[in-house]
Amino acid sequence: MNMRAVLGAATALTAVGLTAAAQDATTLTIATVNNGDMIRMQALSDNFTEQNPDIALEWVTLEENVLRQRVTQDIATGGGQFDVMTIGTYEVPIWAAQDWLLPLDDLPADYDVDDLLPAIRSALSVDGTLYAAPFYGESAMVMYRTDVAEQAGVEIPDEPTWSDIKAAAEAMHDPDNEVYGICLRGKPGWGENMGFITAMANSYGASWFDMEWQPQFDSEPWQAAMNDYLELMNNYGPPGASSNGFNENLALFQQGRCGMWIDATVAASFVTDPDDSTVADSVGYATFPSREGVDNRGNWLWAWSLAVPSSTDAEDAAKRFVAWATSKDYTTLVAQEEGWRAAPPGTRTSLYQNQEYQAAAPFAEMTLKAMQAATPENPSVDEVPYTGGQFVAIPEFQGIGTAVGQTFSAALAGQMDAEQALQTAQQLTQREMQRAGYID
Amino acid sequence: MATQHSRSAARLMISPAVILLLGWMLIPLALTLYFSFLRYNLLMPGTNPFVGLENYSYFLSDPAFTAAMVNTLLLVGGVLVITVVGGILLALLLDQDIWGQGVVRILVIAPFFVMPTVSALVWKNMFMNPVNGLFAHLAEFLGLSAFDFLSQAPLASIIGIVSWQWLPFATLILLTAMQSLDSEQLEAAEMDGAGPLSRFWFIMLPHLARAITVVVLIQTIFLLSVFAEILVTTNGGPGTASTNLTYLVYAESLLRFDVGTGSAGGVVAIILANIVAIFLMRMIGKNLDA
Amino acid sequence: MARAASPRRRAAISVLAWIVALLIFFPILWTVLTSFKTEAEAVADPPSFVAFDWTLENYFVVQERSDYFRHFWNSVVISIGSTIIGLAIAVPAAWAMAFVPGKQTKNVLMWMLSTKMLPPVGVLVPIYLIFRDVGLLDTRVGLVIVLTLINLPIIVWMLYTYFREIPGDILEAARMDGANLRSEVLYVLLPMALPGIASTFLLNVILAWNEAFWTLNLTAANSAPLTAFIASYSSPEGLFYAKLSAASTMAIAPILILGWFSQKQLVRGLTFGAVK
Repeated sequence: MNMRAVLGAATALTAVGLTAAAQDATTLTIATVNNGDMIRMQALSDNFTEQNPDIALEWVTLEENVLRQRVTQDIATGGGQFDVMTIGTYEVPIWAAQDWLLPLDDLPADYDVDDLLPAIRSALSVDGTLYAAPFYGESAMVMYRTDVAEQAGVEIPDEPTWSDIKAAAEAMHDPDNEVYGICLRGKPGWGENMGFITAMANSYGASWFDMEWQPQFDSEPWQAAMNDYLELMNNYGPPGASSNGFNENLALFQQGRCGMWIDATVAASFVTDPDDSTVADSVGYATFPSREGVDNRGNWLWAWSLAVPSSTDAEDAAKRFVAWATSKDYTTLVAQEEGWRAAPPGTRTSLYQNQEYQAAAPFAEMTLKAMQAATPENPSVDEVPYTGGQFVAIPEFQGIGTAVGQTFSAALAGQMDAEQALQTAQQLTQREMQRAGYID
Repeated sequence: MATQHSRSAARLMISPAVILLLGWMLIPLALTLYFSFLRYNLLMPGTNPFVGLENYSYFLSDPAFTAAMVNTLLLVGGVLVITVVGGILLALLLDQDIWGQGVVRILVIAPFFVMPTVSALVWKNMFMNPVNGLFAHLAEFLGLSAFDFLSQAPLASIIGIVSWQWLPFATLILLTAMQSLDSEQLEAAEMDGAGPLSRFWFIMLPHLARAITVVVLIQTIFLLSVFAEILVTTNGGPGTASTNLTYLVYAESLLRFDVGTGSAGGVVAIILANIVAIFLMRMIGKNLDA
Repeated sequence: MARAASPRRRAAISVLAWIVALLIFFPILWTVLTSFKTEAEAVADPPSFVAFDWTLENYFVVQERSDYFRHFWNSVVISIGSTIIGLAIAVPAAWAMAFVPGKQTKNVLMWMLSTKMLPPVGVLVPIYLIFRDVGLLDTRVGLVIVLTLINLPIIVWMLYTYFREIPGDILEAARMDGANLRSEVLYVLLPMALPGIASTFLLNVILAWNEAFWTLNLTAANSAPLTAFIASYSSPEGLFYAKLSAASTMAIAPILILGWFSQKQLVRGLTFGAVK
């Protein structure tokens, strides 16, 4: 056989491929989520490489769940494939405690760390040291179609209760014209439907665990929250809600299919983008709803942030990039290119003091208000042993949240009722917590 | 015929393939087996203590495990039935004298070349999406309300998507087998007064047996590890309605990062796959010798 | 059994066949059409088939966001590289199995196929750790190794079933005519084996091109092939149908075209010894 020739050809082919990828400068591999703000960062990154001609950038852009799996797998095994990772407020304290992240205590002076919103800064710090730089931050709020509300003759107060929401959803629901009263997350995942449902449960006075780490899904507030969630979605939600996450709902809202949408504040800059949104002119905002008699508005707080893993071999370049992407200058750059409305929200006090931003972004005030009101260190009205607003900041939560999210999604799809779903969630969480050694 | 000399030469020729595959199988398998006895969670690095069979009992007592078993069987079985029956029907059709036969055949085999990720994304978003999907538009046009495929019939939808990808494969093999059938035999049967149905049943089908076995064997190998289609469309849900064994192992080891339990699940899946393999090999071995 | 049929019957069957074929092909056609629409037109209700403003914008957007040609090149190197190496290992093995069958040949073959039934997720973490330690993460060499190994059983099996069809008598005859081993291989065996090798090559390139688990999990930026390229278009923010369609079209077009052009060879290889 002409095996030698075949092998030779294969080697030659591989060699050609390898030389094609040869680089001279430092190459940073950046793992990021395929959200609009990050795609924009990628498009604007020429600005960085012009300032730093010795650094080349490689992008790995993935959907949220896949991204999380890839980066966690890589950092936990010390794979070292990425130099900059996009992670959230859930991961930062847990990963920093494992020494997986490099501290960002040597950022340049003009970075102005003190300008970061206090809530965000504290969420990304461990013992006062910053471990990730916030790219954009968010809380949650109600976004609604002012035109549809007017037509339906309802008014949504600035600080609505869940009863107000239900009444408004009923009035605005018009399935014949493909306008659905309310869009909420239903896609399973601890960062998808569980983010929303946990915040909603908080606002009903529920909590995940009591001080003994016993799961609380059998409590009255959880039952009330779950019943209302299912009722809202089944009666006034879009079809297929159990596979709608943030991005799917955003698309629906932009197409004018949702009367109301309760989700991350960051969505406001997309739904008001005249290029992508058909309803850009008619969006109103209100705070995250609360339940009558309960003083809690969900405590949602999240920041997609850039962190440098300790397994990187380009620490200096990676930190330079992180500082660039989360700087005031970057905000200005976005404003120049795309207008102030598109500036990455929710990270810096200075942005909210900027007159131009306030003028261009009608949602600025409500966003800031929601972010300042969120107290993730104290998420529930009851005393709880954990922190985290729309999540529980323990390593086991990814697994538990994903499984419970599947259960609630099944309830939304009509496979079980609220009571069964809560019962399953209770058993499942108990099982996991026992295994992890929190409870006997 | 084969001399001692040629036998040892043959062994030498086979050995690279065998050694490589043995290494590829044994090294990860040994590591997986080892991990499956440890408490090993990627998010909680530490000592990874030896815990005996705890991971196995935990994995096997998971309510999702039974569901995953059933779903795996339904998925493999469903796709096999659809592709074999559909493949035979399509092959019968394509075997006829039709205009533009070449073009028709090109159109029919096209789905086989599509990446699983792409086909899942396309089906999920552009067809099955209950608001913007083409099926929803069609339902609306017919005055029906849109059916939400991926939440109301998740497993059936995935079976549909996977069948679409594998139908061309089955069709091609069955068509080639059909074309090799001696037409005189069929004509003789026709002369003897056998109707089309009995001709198909008594002459065509036995002739196709071997081809059908090959389709079943090769497809089963790929269908047992269907993953991308589930990940992209339903994430195994709602609930566990579309979780197969592969996806469950994925969820344990890469969504919960519990490598210990995930490895235990991997070992269980490997054992089950081998049971299926032995069963299949028996069947195919007999049919191929014939 | 293409017998002369009445024109009427032929027309009816042709129409039916065309309808079925178009239905099967439709998802691909629709994807290609959608890739030329604007995002707004892509979700328009009712949808339009050809009467829209055709635009190439999506392709430019996709190219700008993720360098298509690099991913394409990675896919080419990985799928062809793994196939060639796989063939180099498999041809001798299949040859020996077909022409010098022993008692264990069939069992070895079946065992090889059974290694393909192992669920890859079960061994991802071990492989990841090994690759980390030997520095193969995110390299094309690493992917070539993995894809060679996972597809090797299929290659061996296909070649085996193909080689078995070559009558052994021909060798004997050639030998009697005084051919030496070199000319025996070169002039007798190779011409008969080449079509089988070619079709195995094609099928394996397709399988390797479409492999989406290992190629996604073992790569980052340097060696990411088209399967990773498409992964970034899964449920992004905002409207994305048109961009998704453009990216999908770009990802599947090369292999679709290759498949169509080499249809005849492919079909022959696909039969896996199913036809005698």
